[in-house]
Amino acid sequence: MERELAHWVERLRERAEAEGLSFPPVAFQEVGPEEMAMLAAYGGFPRRYPHWRWGSEYLRYRETYRYGLARIYELVVNTVPVQAYLLRGNTLLAQKVVIAHVYAHADFFQNNLAFKPIPKDMLAEMAHHAAYVERAMERHGARSVEEFLDLALSLENLIDPHAPYIQRPAQKEEEAPKRLPVRPYLDPYVNPPPAFPKEAEEGASPEPLPPRPTRDILGFLAQYAPLAPWQKGILEIVREESLYFAPQAATKILNEGWATYWHTKLLLPLLTPEEALEFAEMQANLLAPHGLNPYRLGYHLLKEVEERWDKGRFGPEYEALPLGERLRYERPTGEGRKKLFQVRTVYTDLNFLEEFLTPEFALRWGLFSLEDLPRFAEAKKALLFRLTNLGYPIVELVDANYQNRGELLLAHAYEGVELDLRKTKAVLENLHRLWGRPVHLKTVVGGKETLLSAP
Amino acid sequence: MPEGILPIERDLLRFKEIVRGEVKKRVREFLTREELFGQVEGRLVSIPLPQLEIPKIVHGEPLGEGLGLGGPGEEALGPGGHIPVAELELEEFLDLVGEALRLPRLVPKGTGEVTEEAFRHTTIARKGPRGLRHVRRTLKESLKRALQSGEYRPEDPLLVPEREDLRYKAPRRKPIPHAQAVVLFALDVSGSMREEELRLVKTLSFWITLWIKRHFPRLERRYLLHDAEAWEVPEEEFFKAREGGGTRISSALLLAEEILKAYPEAFYNRYLYHFSDGENWQGDTPLALEALKRLLPSLALYGYAQVEGPYGQGHFLEEVREALGGREGVALAAVRGRGDLPVALRRLLGG
Repeated sequence: MERELAHWVERLRERAEAEGLSFPPVAFQEVGPEEMAMLAAYGGFPRRYPHWRWGSEYLRYRETYRYGLARIYELVVNTVPVQAYLLRGNTLLAQKVVIAHVYAHADFFQNNLAFKPIPKDMLAEMAHHAAYVERAMERHGARSVEEFLDLALSLENLIDPHAPYIQRPAQKEEEAPKRLPVRPYLDPYVNPPPAFPKEAEEGASPEPLPPRPTRDILGFLAQYAPLAPWQKGILEIVREESLYFAPQAATKILNEGWATYWHTKLLLPLLTPEEALEFAEMQANLLAPHGLNPYRLGYHLLKEVEERWDKGRFGPEYEALPLGERLRYERPTGEGRKKLFQVRTVYTDLNFLEEFLTPEFALRWGLFSLEDLPRFAEAKKALLFRLTNLGYPIVELVDANYQNRGELLLAHAYEGVELDLRKTKAVLENLHRLWGRPVHLKTVVGGKETLLSAP
Repeated sequence: MPEGILPIERDLLRFKEIVRGEVKKRVREFLTREELFGQVEGRLVSIPLPQLEIPKIVHGEPLGEGLGLGGPGEEALGPGGHIPVAELELEEFLDLVGEALRLPRLVPKGTGEVTEEAFRHTTIARKGPRGLRHVRRTLKESLKRALQSGEYRPEDPLLVPEREDLRYKAPRRKPIPHAQAVVLFALDVSGSMREEELRLVKTLSFWITLWIKRHFPRLERRYLLHDAEAWEVPEEEFFKAREGGGTRISSALLLAEEILKAYPEAFYNRYLYHFSDGENWQGDTPLALEALKRLLPSLALYGYAQVEGPYGQGHFLEEVREALGGREGVALAAVRGRGDLPVALRRLLGG
């Protein structure tokens, strides 16, 4: 890396630490646009298991860069050390912004509670996954492994994002039946899946399967579906990787807001007059109001939190005031910074917005006009709904022995928005192929409770 | 990260392979996709890929859009929330279509007239810039030297090129002959060509143009219409529906002969395509056949497509077949509906 850049990596690290950010070592690396496109497609990792969808993503990133439509300035990967990739050829100022931005992300990964149960050696994990899938392809044929991956990936959102937090009672030690090594198509016969309790035994084993409804459907299938060991391995891999990326999706607004807040704070005092204009332009692009821009919303909301807590605009006394008076209320406490660090530690997007996205804020940032204000509650609810469960429907596995026939029963927690039927049916068909017996999903279609089934 | 081939190329190749398979599977559908028709000069073809979408259980309607707090035009927060579309270079797409429909390769009659001088790195030199180093030739020299000097050991075939082995690609002025072609489309507008028939003509002429252009980058196009008389029109007027009087097919062939004079056969591969419902004035057919016989030796291909509407049908196709069937350079096809398009296209291109 260039000497000048190395100098700024050091200097900005010192500034960040002096401001109270704390992070593991960060390894910076400059890469060209094609490598950046590859890393972006791979979710930030230099190696992933073989699958065409990375190729498709890569092509999309590469082409949008080539046609000047979008450029990825930086990628930060939540590992220890934190891996940060800078786009080679950026101006020095752009690199400085990115370096400061990266340190804030690194601080967020280390301190936000959503990331606590996430393994930190994911670099090695991903490489293991790649090696596992490659080996499976050598043994069982690239096409059949790819087909199975397509199927597994259609279930990748059927996880319980809270699973890593759940304390489980120690599992009863059960001797695993010995598996005989055979060709995969013989496997279900030679190594039959665990038998379901027979009717006569039901009284003896009252424990239903699963014992209580679970959202960890991938985990359940990896344990109980009648699959070859390599197929179960792949389900585990897809599940692990989904769980790894889930907190990033759940804190996108907060994390980008945090990084933007800090790169602004760290760099503003250091800008030369020439740089100030370029910085203003970059900042304007970053914070442009298009759609739900997580940088814009996160940044302004964090600034709002800081200001409110600096001015003492919180607590029962403040809450009791009418809207107009709240905007003028002042009781200087200077607790802004402390509050910010607390928000960074304990919130995810969902409760961050739930708590701090107030009508005052919406008015101030022109998200709403005064006339629209009555619709604020409705709009906020819709936004929060969209952030719930990463925007995916909540689906639980209720019964794996539905009607005593070994069929799967899933239930969609319907909250007023129906499912995409075409896609849902395709997923149910995939589940059926996987489970080998009929699969049902309880949901609401056209306002009526419905049981979708495959086949 | 080391320069060179990125590991993701493997995934990219596989993705492209799947896309290609998809195009070949759905080629009949692409044949009639009119949004493609503007793309004769375009570079990329967008291909929607419903088969390539990994389905997931998702909400049916977009969530919380248009309510002020973050509107549409925003990417989904979850992973992979975009419509699967692949883009292919037009040439590649065309080759796939050609392969799937088994369209014949068109062979230039002559090399064509135009020659252009161009620099091509086609020779080998002993000196040159690093970037132009010819690895294979360098190693070959290296191997030669190792063999001669007896240094080469097959069990450890490591070659270390020395200065004298280095070979470079070198430029040479090279005249490049360009095969060129002209295609003339004639359309009978004598009344019975309706919306649907015109659409078939449009589809056929679009693909014919693309396919000829694939083989002859220098392609000129001319268009003429006829009822009892023939007249030339610009391309954009060719496909507009209109009503005419009677039909004299010979008028089109005579005008074609006139227009093609500007494209001497020694310099041009000349293609003539004629779309008609096959009804002709009594007494005109012998004249038309005569004109055709005169023209034929100078043409790369004469393609006649009889597009038959719901009311009756003409006989020109049979008459041509009787008089000229089996002659080289005569391509005949009957088109009754979309289902006939793949075969008609292949026939009309001489396949």
